Amino acid sequence: MPFISKIERQLDYGSFNSSHPIVIDNGASYFRIGWAGENEPRVIFRNIVQRPRHKTTGETVTVVGDHNPVLLKYFDCTRSGPRSAFESNVVYQFEIMEYILDFGFDRLGADQSQRYHYSSYLPYDPSFHFQTDYFGIGQIDHPILITECACNPVQSRGKMAELLFESYGVPSVAFGVDAAFSYKYNQQLGICNDTGLAITSGFTTSHVIPFINGEPVYEACCRTNVGGYHVTDYLKQLLSLKYPHHISKLTWERVEELKMEHCYIAADYASEVQLFQRGDKEAEDKTRCWQLPWSPSPVEEPPSEEEIARKAALKEKQSQRLREMAEAKRSSKINELENELKGLEFLLEELKDIEEEDEIVLFLASRGYASKREVESAFAKVTQSLRKAKGEQVPSEEKVDISAAEKYYLIDIPDDELSAEQLKEKRRQVFLKSTTEARQRAKQRRLEEELEKEKEKKLEEQKRMENPERYLEQLRAKYKELSEKLEQRKRLKTNGNNANGNNNVSGGVGRGERLNAAQRERMRLLTTAAFDRGKGEDTFGQRDEDWQLYKLMSRDNDDDDDDKPDHDETELARISSRLQEIDPTFFPGSESGASASETPRFRPLTKEDFQIILGVERFRCPEVLFNPNFIGIDQSGLDEMVGVSLRRLPSWVQGLEDKMTSSILVTGGSCLYAGVGERLEAGIRMIRPCGTPIEVVRATDPIMDAWRGASVYAAAMQFPEQTFSRTDYYEKGEDWLRRYKFKYTI
Amino acid sequence: MEREVLEAELVLPTHMKFKKIQMYDKYPKGQARGRHWKHLKQIIQAENYENYPPHLPTYVNIETPPSMHPGKKICDITGFEAPYFDPRTKLRYANTEVFKTIRSLPNDYVQRYLALRNAAVVLR
Repeated sequence: MPFISKIERQLDYGSFNSSHPIVIDNGASYFRIGWAGENEPRVIFRNIVQRPRHKTTGETVTVVGDHNPVLLKYFDCTRSGPRSAFESNVVYQFEIMEYILDFGFDRLGADQSQRYHYSSYLPYDPSFHFQTDYFGIGQIDHPILITECACNPVQSRGKMAELLFESYGVPSVAFGVDAAFSYKYNQQLGICNDTGLAITSGFTTSHVIPFINGEPVYEACCRTNVGGYHVTDYLKQLLSLKYPHHISKLTWERVEELKMEHCYIAADYASEVQLFQRGDKEAEDKTRCWQLPWSPSPVEEPPSEEEIARKAALKEKQSQRLREMAEAKRSSKINELENELKGLEFLLEELKDIEEEDEIVLFLASRGYASKREVESAFAKVTQSLRKAKGEQVPSEEKVDISAAEKYYLIDIPDDELSAEQLKEKRRQVFLKSTTEARQRAKQRRLEEELEKEKEKKLEEQKRMENPERYLEQLRAKYKELSEKLEQRKRLKTNGNNANGNNNVSGGVGRGERLNAAQRERMRLLTTAAFDRGKGEDTFGQRDEDWQLYKLMSRDNDDDDDDKPDHDETELARISSRLQEIDPTFFPGSESGASASETPRFRPLTKEDFQIILGVERFRCPEVLFNPNFIGIDQSGLDEMVGVSLRRLPSWVQGLEDKMTSSILVTGGSCLYAGVGERLEAGIRMIRPCGTPIEVVRATDPIMDAWRGASVYAAAMQFPEQTFSRTDYYEKGEDWLRRYKFKYTI
Repeated sequence: MEREVLEAELVLPTHMKFKKIQMYDKYPKGQARGRHWKHLKQIIQAENYENYPPHLPTYVNIETPPSMHPGKKICDITGFEAPYFDPRTKLRYANTEVFKTIRSLPNDYVQRYLALRNAAVVLR
């Protein structure tokens, strides 16, 4: 059963005359308001208020109840979640309550019927000065019957009365308990006797209330602070711990729906859970699966022939264009260089004709050159680059092959025979020589290593050829051993707690937990160095080993093994790749459960990854109603509560307890689970003597009966006697409210 | 405000003709929103229930006492019956497989599982 809300504005408010009571069932989950005598409340909505900010205008608005979630996209709800006026089952936040009442009355249609009641304002009314409202004076001119919890603290009741009288101008108010109305309603329908028990499990609390001759006996009632809220919350937490990837899907509303749809009460938790533990067929049948919206990731189809051809053609065309461009660039460059060369040749020709030195200088200066040498060098340069551009071999490459002796001609000459410049040159040559040699040596080493490896491989291959099975076995064993070793080391590094024999009592949250073994050792050394001054004389440093301490202490000591991949790791990688090569069944990481996290991460998500499986959770969560200690609440569950309540009953009435147990009514939203009645009956049978008559019945409509009962009650002729008026409230005050006692039998 | 929002009458009007005191008069804007509302604990304390005659039913004394039976111990992860207890994580577990998972759980998950039954370490 999903959320039910009825929030259409009623239009017939004006047709009810002012003595017609309004009935409100103010439950912690739902607010129901309607007219006395009717069978259904007119307006129903979730008893919550949100104050989001409108995204475009930025103003904070008030949204009461649950609306179409699509519309909330215009609002920024991140800073204010839904808030309730309730703590446990007591109203404490009357500002929120006022918003809720505003909305309730508004949707009941109170806003449209403006009638002016000057006569009803009495001179002692302290809020008189507020009545000069520009828009006219309004009030809710109907008696109100509103529900509250059993034994509501007077403060809460008083504040509610204050709110109704002063803000809404209600003429009179009556407070009743929802469970009692439900019981009375069902009693009138003949479902339960006038003496019996009402077990009511609501949103935040559960009550057992005994009735004697149609009147609730609060002296004997009891309350456990567990209700539907806790069930949903438990389910939500469990699922979000089980499926951390789908947290965003597990909204409160969704989980509540899941709860209503799938949860049930196990007849016997232990045996039911064993069914699942064994993994029977029956358990499989009881497992529910919620498939989240999921679409398989599109499989990449191999491109068709045409496509490939088309792409190749396109590529070819592009490269052709690029080639052409490069060619054009090259030819233009060659052109340019040739022109320059010609110019320089011409210049040199001209220079030959000029004899005088001065004239040469003058002539060159006019063309931007300092000397003839410069012209010649420029000429050589241009020729070279022209050759390069034309793709001819550049002769200067030959230099590379100059023999080492020629290259490093200065090395063997002693320093004192060389000038300063030559010395510099010599140093350079020495450096160059050593680096080239080193490079060659490294090359040699690599070559050797490769050879070695090749040899090893051959050896292994040979082994394999001899006995493939045994070889595989050995390889596997080695792999397992290595991976375990590495795993162990990793664990040690992250929390070297267990292997160290260090009994860390804090169980994983202390300071010690955060350091690995090496770090801890370092800390120990540091502290001893800092505080342990030694008892006798200081002999530190007399032995050479003492100085090793500083090496251990130094910061870089503890993580140097992280830098270079260590031998085992490379070996493991090698073996696993080898295994993958020759063993088709091998799957890295599948050998031991501990290394399961090493499975490839980028496996495509399947349908199963988007399933939320409800197995044990289906009955584990509602079980909190019977075993509140599941969620850490140290109170008895529903079945034991009956025993508590019976013990609290006056003992002088003969056979009262049997009378009680032969008419047990279950009501309230949290008793809608399948199997509640049977479980309760079994539980009560355990605590009652053998042969006790036990009759557990469910209310006709566990959710709506409280309102209906209240509606019937408010429509009765004697109802006005049960209300207290505004006059009473102002004259008699809070103390009178405390003694206010509602009579259910009228 | 968007049309569909207005049509759905999603937003509660600030002025209600049927009220004697409007919200904006009672809780003027700009001032600290409303006032501090006593929480249930404070309400109960202010109620001075200890001065009441003991036979009178009150919000406090109708509470159910703790259960007479020892609490059922269930595995924190699976919900199975849990014969074992891990002293390191303080989680209860049903079998070796669950033990493996709880030992590989990160600490905050352990704490969240513990918080489910109100046994988490609360740092203040």
